[in-house]
Amino acid sequence: MARKIKGPQMIVANRLLDGRVVFMKADGTWSALAGEAAVAADEAGVEALEALAQKSADENYVLSIEVIDATEKGGKPYPAHMKFAMQAKGPSVRPDLGYQVSPAWEQTDL
Amino acid sequence: MYAYDKYDHALVNARVAEFRDQVERRVRGELTEEEFRPLRLMNGLYLQLHAYMLRVAVPYGTLSADQMRTLAHIARKYDKGYGHFTTRQNIQYNWPKLSDTPDILQELANVEMHAIQTSGNCIRNVTTDQFAGATADEVADPRPYAELIRQWSSFHPEFSFLPRKFKIAITGADIDRAAVKWHDIGLVVKKNDAGEIGFEVLVGGGMGRTPVIAKTIRDFLPEADLLSYLEAILRVYNEQGRRDNKYKARIKILVDALGADEYARQTEEEWQKIKDLPIDFPAEEAARIKAFFAPPPLQVLSDDVPAVNELASKNFLFGAWLKNNTNQHKVPGHVNVTISLKPHGGIPGDATAEQMDLVAALADEYSQGELRISHEQNLILPHVAKKDLPAIWTDLDEAGLGIPNAGLLTDMIACPGLDYCSLANARSIPLAQELGKRFDDFKRLQDIGPLKIKISGCINSCGHHHAGHIGILGVDRKGEENYQLLLGGSGAEDASKAAILGPGFDENGIIDAIEKVVAVYLGERNEGEEFLATYRRVGPDVFKEAVYGTR
Amino acid sequence: MALVNLTGIQAGDFTVLAEDQTPDEGAAVAVPLSRLKDEGDDFFKVAGSVGAVLATDTNYTDLAPLMNKLAFVVIDFPAFGDGRGFSLAVRLRKDLGFKGEIRATGPVIPDQALFLLRAGFDTVEVADAREAAFKTALKRFDAFYQTDYTGQVSLAHARHGKSQERKAS
Repeated sequence: MARKIKGPQMIVANRLLDGRVVFMKADGTWSALAGEAAVAADEAGVEALEALAQKSADENYVLSIEVIDATEKGGKPYPAHMKFAMQAKGPSVRPDLGYQVSPAWEQTDL
Repeated sequence: MYAYDKYDHALVNARVAEFRDQVERRVRGELTEEEFRPLRLMNGLYLQLHAYMLRVAVPYGTLSADQMRTLAHIARKYDKGYGHFTTRQNIQYNWPKLSDTPDILQELANVEMHAIQTSGNCIRNVTTDQFAGATADEVADPRPYAELIRQWSSFHPEFSFLPRKFKIAITGADIDRAAVKWHDIGLVVKKNDAGEIGFEVLVGGGMGRTPVIAKTIRDFLPEADLLSYLEAILRVYNEQGRRDNKYKARIKILVDALGADEYARQTEEEWQKIKDLPIDFPAEEAARIKAFFAPPPLQVLSDDVPAVNELASKNFLFGAWLKNNTNQHKVPGHVNVTISLKPHGGIPGDATAEQMDLVAALADEYSQGELRISHEQNLILPHVAKKDLPAIWTDLDEAGLGIPNAGLLTDMIACPGLDYCSLANARSIPLAQELGKRFDDFKRLQDIGPLKIKISGCINSCGHHHAGHIGILGVDRKGEENYQLLLGGSGAEDASKAAILGPGFDENGIIDAIEKVVAVYLGERNEGEEFLATYRRVGPDVFKEAVYGTR
Repeated sequence: MALVNLTGIQAGDFTVLAEDQTPDEGAAVAVPLSRLKDEGDDFFKVAGSVGAVLATDTNYTDLAPLMNKLAFVVIDFPAFGDGRGFSLAVRLRKDLGFKGEIRATGPVIPDQALFLLRAGFDTVEVADAREAAFKTALKRFDAFYQTDYTGQVSLAHARHGKSQERKAS
């Protein structure tokens, strides 16, 4: 099922046990850092990423997988849309909370 | 207020055990996310942008000081030290872990609280007037009926898998502080000529993508028939409400499709079949529940308190607070105090655990240990003796909770918006913060007078922008936040839909537009005329001209 | 598939009739309502017992003419969130006075066990792997806030020692 993509894509999800936002790396593991996310530029690449992410969902590690437009920030991948950029950082009105506090804020292994 | 008996305790504790089991089965993969999602929603647990969000029920907005202290404790132990009070009188936590939620629910159960049916396609928290049972302008306290409905609607065998969410509101006063006409079912407590209690019943109100004001289908429903009549309304909805399209599934769509008269007819037809069956509620149960809401033993005192008058004349802010943040009580010499959670530049409706503890302590000392939450996201100390106001205000003011803006422009409703909510298209909180700073002048606010601004970050309208005197709707315009300006809405007994004034603005533009709207109002108003009345009298054109420069 | 028995009723053992099949003599068969409405008396005479299979959007009044011919009813949920199935069972008990077995089929989940029981269902067809969870769910709560149409009296009554039942009319 080839999907149409308009540009580079990355994958974001939430961890099941604590709901924290995570970005998928190339090996199918997850990071708090958008900058470590795998980016796919073509349909086949996106499908491969999706399959990896789904495996993680099937293992009940993540939920709410989203394939999102990727751009660059500081030479690293970053969500293009403001909603997912918000996820990458944390609430703009509470700069003391979220990943904006520290890039790996509350990245505890579960 | 209502106190659990052994049966209530058993149900709430069994519910916690059930949810704990459901979480375990989900984690093990014995429930799919698709199956688990409605189950966790029926326990108030959403997945939002940054984390899960837990919506804890505060039935009809009434809670005790002890319960408030538990809410503070939960904020500290399981969350990030704060909570958010909502437009349905509930509280939301923004950072709970799924794995902690069963424990959170158990701690809540221990103080007679829960998160049952605060989300999901079921009957939600029944909301009411924040001054219920304490205000001078009341026909009768609506809260016993809200408690009856709460029990009747909890784990209902037939109505727990409705086409969509279902919201009921009830007011006991003719002045509607519960926005009943904007609800799926609205109830207005009335007395007939014989002095008997009954309800005007309205159905099919709602905000969201298609704002509709509820229609009256019954002018007077006798008190004892309340639950059987609700059963009839719900059965018609459950059977015929649309299930093919989530955005067309509310009862307002069905009432519109059938017509209110036909909906009334079908309800009546079904009700005739069940009304005489021996059903809920028996008179003994009504009496038992009403007894919990007996008025507290307050001494009749003088409304004229020299110490209060003196402080009001010396201290402008206290004087403003006295005028704006107190509501006349049934018992002379007493008021209901509104604690504003709308500090200028702050996040509307948020309170820290420390602030919750302070408010609980004040409740113990000054308001019979009782608190309320208003649907406008403020807290209330009911039953306060006027003579205690200076002491209360001093404590509140020290904690940043003494802002004298209740009902004024900066007493805004704002949904969490794109900062927190995965449904949102735009941020709403920064707008509220900027408005608070722009209008940070209490003399000016006083002069402007009562003005309700309501801000939603998307068309789901959780900020109630359709009912704002000034409503703001945030949208996503090509990846940029854009804000639409609406005028002339009302959530009161004179309910009306706000109307869009013209094209939208960016964040700075909308603030400037509101300044212009206020300026027009000040120029056009008759003496003593409030904003909404002026708008209704002069119409939108003069506002449109000022904001857009059109002719 | 396993059959969870909610009420202890003698559960029927029937086959679902294919569209063009006629029932064997004396057979217990489940038939979609749309077909039953067209069938004549012979159909019912030949079969041993006939049950209607209902979609959740069935209008209960369509069943009225068939009530004295039906031995059981199957309500087929297309999705567990389709709550019309519960009202349909209530209608069968309350408005049509149906006393036979009402069975739920489709993707209902174990956590709905008590809702199904209290709405008037007798049995639920479930995946084998879920049978245990259904039985566990049935034991979670033993008192309720509603009087229903199966004879369960609500706490509003029980608190005051009242045992008035709300019966199907």
